[in-house]
Amino acid sequence: MRALSSLFRGKKVLQVLSLLLVIVLFLMPVYRLVILSFKSGDVFTLENYANILQDDKTWSVITNTVIVVAGATVISVSIGILMAWVIAYTNIRAKKLMQIFIVLPFVIPSYISTLAWTQFFGSNGLYSTLISFLPFSIEINLYSIGGIIFVLGFSHYPLVYLLSLNVFRKIPTEAEHASRVAGASGWQTFRKITLPLALPGIASGGFLAFIANLDNFGIPAFLGIPAQIDVLSTYIYQQIVGYGPSAFQRAATFSVILGVIAFSGLLIQWLLLKKSKRIETTTEEKRPRVLLGGKWRIFIETILWGFFFLTSIVPLISMIMTSLLTAYGLDFTLENISLKNYQYILETSPKAKRAIGNSLQLALIITVTGIITGTGFAYYRVRKPNRWNRYSELAISLPYALPGTVMALSMIFAWMEPLPGWNPGIYGSMMILFIAYFTRFLILQIRGSITAVLQVDYTMEEAAAVSGSNGWTKWRKILLPLMLPGILSGAFLVFLTALTELTVSSLLWSSNSETIGVIIFSFEQAGYTTYSTAFSGIIICLILAGFLLLSGFQLLWNRKVANSN
Amino acid sequence: MSIKISQLSKNFNQFAALKNIQLSIDDGEFIAILGPSGCGKTTLLRLLAGFLSPTYGKIEIGENEVGTPERSLPPEKRNIGMVFQSFALWPHLSVKEHIRFPILHHRFIPAELKKNADERIQQVLQMVSLEKLSDRMPNELSGGQRQRVALARAIAPKPELLLMDEPLSNLDAELRMEMRKEIQKIHRLTKATIVYVTHDQGEALAMADRIVVMNNGQVEQVGTPAEIYTRPKTPFVAKFVGKANLIEGRWENDLFTPHLSPDIEWPDDGVADEMKYFGCFPVRPEQLYLTKDRNKNDSITGIITSIQYQGKEIHYVVDVSGQEWAVHSSVYDQFQIGEQVFIHIKHAVRKNNLVILK
Repeated sequence: MRALSSLFRGKKVLQVLSLLLVIVLFLMPVYRLVILSFKSGDVFTLENYANILQDDKTWSVITNTVIVVAGATVISVSIGILMAWVIAYTNIRAKKLMQIFIVLPFVIPSYISTLAWTQFFGSNGLYSTLISFLPFSIEINLYSIGGIIFVLGFSHYPLVYLLSLNVFRKIPTEAEHASRVAGASGWQTFRKITLPLALPGIASGGFLAFIANLDNFGIPAFLGIPAQIDVLSTYIYQQIVGYGPSAFQRAATFSVILGVIAFSGLLIQWLLLKKSKRIETTTEEKRPRVLLGGKWRIFIETILWGFFFLTSIVPLISMIMTSLLTAYGLDFTLENISLKNYQYILETSPKAKRAIGNSLQLALIITVTGIITGTGFAYYRVRKPNRWNRYSELAISLPYALPGTVMALSMIFAWMEPLPGWNPGIYGSMMILFIAYFTRFLILQIRGSITAVLQVDYTMEEAAAVSGSNGWTKWRKILLPLMLPGILSGAFLVFLTALTELTVSSLLWSSNSETIGVIIFSFEQAGYTTYSTAFSGIIICLILAGFLLLSGFQLLWNRKVANSN
Repeated sequence: MSIKISQLSKNFNQFAALKNIQLSIDDGEFIAILGPSGCGKTTLLRLLAGFLSPTYGKIEIGENEVGTPERSLPPEKRNIGMVFQSFALWPHLSVKEHIRFPILHHRFIPAELKKNADERIQQVLQMVSLEKLSDRMPNELSGGQRQRVALARAIAPKPELLLMDEPLSNLDAELRMEMRKEIQKIHRLTKATIVYVTHDQGEALAMADRIVVMNNGQVEQVGTPAEIYTRPKTPFVAKFVGKANLIEGRWENDLFTPHLSPDIEWPDDGVADEMKYFGCFPVRPEQLYLTKDRNKNDSITGIITSIQYQGKEIHYVVDVSGQEWAVHSSVYDQFQIGEQVFIHIKHAVRKNNLVILK
């Protein structure tokens, strides 16, 4: 009895400790950031806000942000819904292959897509070659508000697609048939039955796209900074790298403003979700409901493949073409082509080599620690749900929900002097990046692992216990093999995101701790476009290799154990 | 292995799932725990398995005290095997690997079985007739085959206690009949004590040595299938197992007079004393028969309100002064809805020739 109660106490202590860790790692930084925005010297004041809100520049930045985010979200939502509906409802072929192309902009870091688009629309790019065949010409300048909206919108529609696809599939066919039998036309049925039922998915996807557009740094940094178009995320960045007397306070204040805008998006989503009714069926209709006739089907397939070709493949080809040029601005002819840019990245440039090493090291360590802590937490969260781990999950998801610049800033405040007056040199070394990545990306692993744990029915663990093993053997022989696909897709996402991360590292890097994203950004800013495109080319190859590896593994796995209950 | 359950209670927060259960199970006995959903039968099984610990009371398996509120042995430390309702097969392991798992890890497995693991696997595969499917994965098996794998996994380490949680409820009707025989065969071959939870009275009556009928977290009656069916001790058992009409009346000197018809007397055909105490005569539908004419003076008048043709018999519902009685009659006497009929009792089963199987 005494042993048991001390065990109980031990468990309590562990619980309190882990809760403390969650608070320190995930909540403290944000708290410090908000406090700082209200501080001038050592006194609490609204001075920072007063100064900033009186500045005309602030209002132009906020206006830009609102226009850019609204425009890009409209594009993301429209394309996302359209894609999701076509894939979920119609009988077009090769949907699996299309899915890969749809997810592609999501897997490729947005700053690389931006580079690709700029090369496509550049003065020597493929676009001008294509347009020269036409009798008229349309100039497209991506370095503009329209350009930012365009690239943002096309980069983030997969979010809407992914979240609404399953909702579309879950809409009961009978509900729509009932509407047709009751006399409604196909279009009326779509408007009055399908869309309202799909609203929860569309709203959450739309919100994610909104947050992604607001939070994105790479696209407005690559396109906006050269054209002196500032949005909040890039403006905060410029405050910090520009130093100045009250840079941190100003940046903190802008961060809080950015947070307020993000929160208003959450409010809109909440209002939409509140109005919509949840669908109670859980079965997904995988068969097509709209059977297109031969000609129509080919027509729509052609449009879709044309879209994928133009938005995914052609810009990448343009980028690779640039990366092969011996000097920027030359024509793409045989004598101007070489691999010397690649050689420069992989051999000559010490910075680039160091960045690859740093990013790989960061990504690997974050992935491994993430798998262990994330899966451990996910298991505890699913099997023994309680108040504490629910709040913990919320707290852990906070750093990921925050815009990257804000998150990086809060990391600086939290770890420059973890305790007042004590600077252990975390800020200014790789350590700050480790901590930042861990806190920012842990939730991705947890989400993947939670799905994995949920897929393993609890009775399978009970069966293992009755068969004699409830400890390490159960994990090794039953749980881990069954959860592996879910854990690995979470881990893959963490690895990929950490490897190509730009926003957070652009504020936290120091010499010797550069990351791949930072170096590509600095090449581009310094005008070395051939180097930045070559580096991006290498990253694309790495991503593709990883993608193939994961899909291959999942294919093998599915062949072995799929469709079983 | 014998089991002794004393004063066992289990609460979930405020809800009392089990209330003061007393039960002894003999070595090698096949016990069915029968009851409607929510009666606490699964809770009792999970307490026996060690997935739950008692709130009050004690569970002894063999010589060991395995469950008390202070100390509850986890499942892997009890000498048990279990078959789950969902089968709980591991999708990444083949049939053979499922059987090998407990042989490798079960803590009570006889040493010679562990040494000759492959031989044991063959033996078990044979017992459940899966020799030819030993390399299949669960997703390549039919429902009945999956059930056999679940059985094989449970019996492979020769546990002395086999727990089964509604193992047949996920199968279709025909397969269920077949698997009943399979489970009886396994009981014969393994000689293990079996505790079998079900809500299907047919399964319990067909297979068990003794049935424990449960309701609202309490044991209603324990007895052999024949006792439970023909001599229910509580109104619940009479209704749940025998689907009996509970006819209220007065008992006097082993003669029963229904309140509805004070002129007739029914002889005692083995009604339990407890039922007599309630002033009840439980009459199962097949104990009654209908006639068009009042040809005897022991009949009760009623009007047919529902007819369900079943093939080998017809199920009638007869309205008797506002009460609904169920009567099963042969297909050779047919009646119409709204027809007036006379209900009689068959006297086939008398107290002194009550058949008790076993």
